[in-house]
Amino acid sequence: MTRPGLAAACAAMLRRDLTLAWRRRGDIAMPVLYALIVTMLFPFALGPEDTLLQRIAGGVILVTVLLAMLLALDGMFSSDVEDGSLEQLVLAPQPLALMMGMKILAHWMTTALPLIVIAPLLAAMLHLPAAVIPVLLLALLLATPLLSLLGAVLVALTAGTRRSGMLLALMLLPLCVPAVIFAAGAVAAAQQGLPWIAPVAWLGAALVLAVVLAPLACAAALRIALDA
Amino acid sequence: MSNWIPLWLHKLSSPPTFYRFAGTLRPWAMALAVLFGVIALYGGLVLAPADYQQGDAYRIIFIHVPCAWMSMFVYAVMGVSSLIALVWRIKLAEVVAMESAPIGAAFTFITLVTGSLWGKPMWGTWWTWDARLTSELVLLFLYLGVIGLYHSFEDRRQGARAAAFLALIGIINVPIVHFSVNWWNTLHQGSTVKLFGPSKIAWGMLWPLLAMTLATKFYYIASLFHRARVDLLALEGGKDWVRQIAEDEARK
Amino acid sequence: MISTTLTVPLLEARALSFLRQDEPVFAPIDFQLDAGELALIEGDNGSGKTTLMRILAGLLHVGAGELFWRGEPMQRDRCTGEILFLGHQLGLKADLSPRENLLIAAGLNGYREGSSITSILAEIGLGGFEDEPVRRLSAGQKKRVALARLLLLPASLWLLDEPYANLDRIGIALVNHLLEKHLAAGGAALVTSHGAVSFHGGEPRHIRIHA
Repeated sequence: MTRPGLAAACAAMLRRDLTLAWRRRGDIAMPVLYALIVTMLFPFALGPEDTLLQRIAGGVILVTVLLAMLLALDGMFSSDVEDGSLEQLVLAPQPLALMMGMKILAHWMTTALPLIVIAPLLAAMLHLPAAVIPVLLLALLLATPLLSLLGAVLVALTAGTRRSGMLLALMLLPLCVPAVIFAAGAVAAAQQGLPWIAPVAWLGAALVLAVVLAPLACAAALRIALDA
Repeated sequence: MSNWIPLWLHKLSSPPTFYRFAGTLRPWAMALAVLFGVIALYGGLVLAPADYQQGDAYRIIFIHVPCAWMSMFVYAVMGVSSLIALVWRIKLAEVVAMESAPIGAAFTFITLVTGSLWGKPMWGTWWTWDARLTSELVLLFLYLGVIGLYHSFEDRRQGARAAAFLALIGIINVPIVHFSVNWWNTLHQGSTVKLFGPSKIAWGMLWPLLAMTLATKFYYIASLFHRARVDLLALEGGKDWVRQIAEDEARK
Repeated sequence: MISTTLTVPLLEARALSFLRQDEPVFAPIDFQLDAGELALIEGDNGSGKTTLMRILAGLLHVGAGELFWRGEPMQRDRCTGEILFLGHQLGLKADLSPRENLLIAAGLNGYREGSSITSILAEIGLGGFEDEPVRRLSAGQKKRVALARLLLLPASLWLLDEPYANLDRIGIALVNHLLEKHLAAGGAALVTSHGAVSFHGGEPRHIRIHA
């Protein structure tokens, strides 16, 4: 018999989740449409003044992306729990934390990446100066994986319950406060012409920590959630 | 000699022993809580001098500050017992962690309400996005998240373990939130309100504060013991010792 | 742990039980399972057969008693990959084809020596359905895809929870054939089932389980 190496197992896991997402590509478009519609509502609610929209643009885009990701987060493990493939994954002779890391990566690629791609469009809708857009994209590139990683731990914790999106929001949003502050802070600083490296560096540091710890926590949470 | 403490703790962690122990201690804790509470209120509201800047409005700190301390203390207790519950699967630790959460949430809520009542005359606003206030609000959400997660599981022990895990994540989160809001405040040049100036607090104001701190601690012990006893009875419903208690009650 | 026999049993349970809300789900059971042996777990509905299977698979923690794997206390990392679990939920992705499902399983668990997905799918009676999404297959065919994992993945102990459910007579014969082949190769299996099972290789052991 031949046991697969770690790299092969990771590739199999990643390919599985990406194939599944591709077979249901309609679902990938949902968070994107949601973010577009929410962003569209802001000018209607606040009036079309350029200065006001410019001032809030960074924060609005970040919160919109966060909420769009929250919507998609709920489904991260639900189908795997229902059809029993999560059990098979837990029982496979591979480090569960690493497999979870692959799942989170696949989830980030299919939900957050499309949102980052349309972020310049959202920024244009709110008249964010073009010079700030690279900083916005950088902040999103660091903040969204952080949210995916944190969210995955909490979704894993609720994997054994009657699923409730509200509970997930209640648990996740307090944990997101620092990520939102630093990401929005970087954009705001860039907009005011201030140095924006510090908040981005803090985001990066948090992301490095989360990349290491969150998959481990996710695996531990999953074992708790399945143990009944 | 050296290992009597772990032995005693081990014995205490068995539900029937703890049930009796808590039952004996609870009335005393409650009585002490009331006693210290009355003393502290009398000392704080009547004996303590009025503040030369804030007048009588400052007197709300005799409720506000002990509750704020308790909101963090209870979270610490919850965190430690969560860790014990996850590592050693001790049922009593699960019960203590889960029954601490509503008490802690209540203390946090009182802290926020009294703080806001105090803030209106002092800073002219009910709420400000100060690091301390925001951390306290996040703490309340964490408590509510723990309670919500605990109750969303069918199996209570499994729910307790999952919620204990969340409580541990929260412990890491609170300092990070505090730090990030501090950073955010310096960026936005927001209202930086000093809650406690460098001024030394007078003894006449300090001792009622300390008495109230003791009162809240004893209240927490009494309330926790009561809740833990009820919970243990429910969890151990089928066991002999619970049946024994039920029979004794019926005979009375 | 002193074993007097020369051969250490593959799997041994001593006073094994599981607690749910502090109530034992089934009465403590003892059994041994050697390599090349098959045991049927019998019990009424709700007697805890599935719970027992999930404990043995390592999904649930041991509530009371002890569990030994090759003579040593069972630990998750020591026996993963040696045990193959087939539960009520088949662990198949409905959007993927049988071939893709098996590729993933093999990607995580590895291949049994000399096995190929195409030939296994033909052997199991799914020739021609290799690339059809699993959602379009019948319940019996889905079960067969799950059974194909038994042939594909390397494992010394099979835990089969109701493997005969949803299968026609040919399917049942197929499961028995797979079991016989596995036992002849030195594997062992634990099977739960309601119905009577017939084997060519003699009467299997019976383990009774009570609520």
